[in-house]
Amino acid sequence: MGAVDARVAEYARLLVERSLDVQPGWQVLIRAQPEARALIEELTAMIARRRAYPLLRMNFTQYPSDEAWASEAPLDLVGEMAPIDRYAADHMDARITVDAPDNTRGVAVLSPERRALMKRAAAPFFRRTIADEIPWVGCQFPTNALAQEAGMPLAAFEDFFYDACLRDWDAEGRAMQRLVARFDEADRVRIVGDETDLVLSLRGRKGEVDAGYTNMPGGEFFFSPLEDSAEGTVYLDVPTELDGAPVSGIRLVFRKGHVEGASAEQGEAELLAALDLDEGARFVGELGIGCNEGITRPMRSILFDEKMAGTVHLALGASYPKVGGTNVSALHWDLIKDLRTGGRIELDGDVVQENGVWVRV
Amino acid sequence: MGAVLDPRVEEYARLLVERSLAVQPGWQVMIVATPSSRPLVEELVRQLARAGAWPLVRLSYVDQEQVPFDSLWATEAPEELLGTMAPIEARTREELDAWLLIFGSENTRGATVLSAQRRQKLRQAYVPFNQRRLAPGFPWVGCLYPTEALAQEAGMTLADYADFVYGACLLDWERERERMSGYAERFDAGETVRIVGGGTDLTLSIVGRSGLVDDAHYNVPGGEFFYSPVEDSAEGVIEFSEFPAVYQGAICEGVRLRFEAGKVVDASARANEDYLIGALDTDEGARRLGELGIGCNPGIQRHTRNTLFDEKIDGTVHLALGAGLAFVGGLNQSAVHWDMVKDLRRGGRIELDGVVVQQDGAWAL
Repeated sequence: MGAVDARVAEYARLLVERSLDVQPGWQVLIRAQPEARALIEELTAMIARRRAYPLLRMNFTQYPSDEAWASEAPLDLVGEMAPIDRYAADHMDARITVDAPDNTRGVAVLSPERRALMKRAAAPFFRRTIADEIPWVGCQFPTNALAQEAGMPLAAFEDFFYDACLRDWDAEGRAMQRLVARFDEADRVRIVGDETDLVLSLRGRKGEVDAGYTNMPGGEFFFSPLEDSAEGTVYLDVPTELDGAPVSGIRLVFRKGHVEGASAEQGEAELLAALDLDEGARFVGELGIGCNEGITRPMRSILFDEKMAGTVHLALGASYPKVGGTNVSALHWDLIKDLRTGGRIELDGDVVQENGVWVRV
Repeated sequence: MGAVLDPRVEEYARLLVERSLAVQPGWQVMIVATPSSRPLVEELVRQLARAGAWPLVRLSYVDQEQVPFDSLWATEAPEELLGTMAPIEARTREELDAWLLIFGSENTRGATVLSAQRRQKLRQAYVPFNQRRLAPGFPWVGCLYPTEALAQEAGMTLADYADFVYGACLLDWERERERMSGYAERFDAGETVRIVGGGTDLTLSIVGRSGLVDDAHYNVPGGEFFYSPVEDSAEGVIEFSEFPAVYQGAICEGVRLRFEAGKVVDASARANEDYLIGALDTDEGARRLGELGIGCNPGIQRHTRNTLFDEKIDGTVHLALGAGLAFVGGLNQSAVHWDMVKDLRRGGRIELDGVVVQQDGAWAL
């Protein structure tokens, strides 16, 4: 490692002090990959200064899943987490996930059956964070693999990365609270854009703002729309991925909340397989509105792209109980629509955002 | 990482999983390793999968840590926290079924420097698991994956070092077991061991103690048999003049120890004496011997500044200061277990109850 980028310490401080607010005696589980070394070292030192324990779970794949193991273990074992890991999941006080891949296409090929079992085994690990029983944050560390995915040299990628993360999150939070209040009052959201005209109901649902808490970068507010409300078509033009496979140019047709038609310009097989994963995979679990002005272009990273100001995202699959969602699925896949060139958002018939710019809110 | 897997890695992993640990279905096997050991870690994970066992992979960058980033954490955490492990980490070590440690440093000088006081406290946190691990019947193994840093420490190219490592590890271990068992039986029948060599005349009692042969069960490479000598028996002087004494990344040259009634009463070193004295002062047991080992690995003829290999050099003996080995009747308690290797190949001998059994590193049995 070379000289440590001063921004790494600031980034770590944000995660430990703001996102988690680590307290004395806590056991903070850190899932990470080897390339995140500089950040892990900062996190370790800061957690120590807060009189708490880091539980580092570093592996080449992201703990608790291990594709090399899941590809060869007996099927009855693949679906089950090691009891020792299960205990850790049930007793940790907070969790940080640091994605720092050395190859974003290095995901081993698994049969659909084994991949589904592997996800089932990992589910207990996420139970307490999805339910918001403990503080958690998901983030990344800038690696060459992520820079390559974004189509940039590492140094430029790092600038972009830290611009998106090292923000005045209190100010961002206040600005997003004003927007979410306007959405909370409304019943009906309409999203109009290129090959897109989709209506969703938010009646009785409240939104939540992420101002640097559960995701870093934060910069979105989100709802779980009424499960049977989605009607219309949407063209999700921001390229994405699923389990390491690229998927782009997704077109979905919704009737009564349910995906009735689906196609993709790339990765259609992955899209259709995801929709067939379970009952809930064809329903919208989340409508999110990206508000992070530090993110101005997609970089094939859902964590960042879904926060891009002037975009919205729809997640197929599991909704968030904390915002009133009731859809259950093993899938939660955020698909992103760019509204900056010829799109708008309407609330109960009033245009509130035009070409990615807020109006009359 | 290299795309082509050295075929010896698969054989090496099989030795660890099938012979050293004899992994059973349903076991939870902790693998402590560095990112540099990736090919071996991934092969182990695949073989554990086939054995129906769960791997608990714990990567860190530094070799000497049982808990990743422990030293870094311990430099910053309040001192009163250091003596006990995080409850989840402690419980993990109470429940795991087998433990596998892979040395695979990317920089053998990369350990965080802790003050002696903090280092000592941190070692206390390791004591409960070390006691469990060293009790009879617990499956564990320490091994090594060849990295550039370890090759550099040995003064070799990586290719030559890898040949050296696999040459020492991939032996016919059943044959080695039979050969070493013959020596160990002779020692088991003896009472007093005398080690004579350059600057050295030391006697130890092994009365009532039985030796254990490491035929690739506790260490890979194996290739030693060892005792926990009677705790108050060591008398005399030993000089580790041929090789440096290496412990947790620190190197002490020319260590000389004088024992009375089992205890080090005088210690000196040509270089890094402070570290030696600090280790001896860690706790009550650090001045007593926990182990006498006799190196027998025919694949190891040279010193590579790595205890795992150096203590198995054919024609050497090693003495460990500190923790005794409960599984061979050792009683000494300490957070330290520091193996120091004495070369007997040029002008040294081992006597058993007055009879020379090894002269200049060659067995006379």
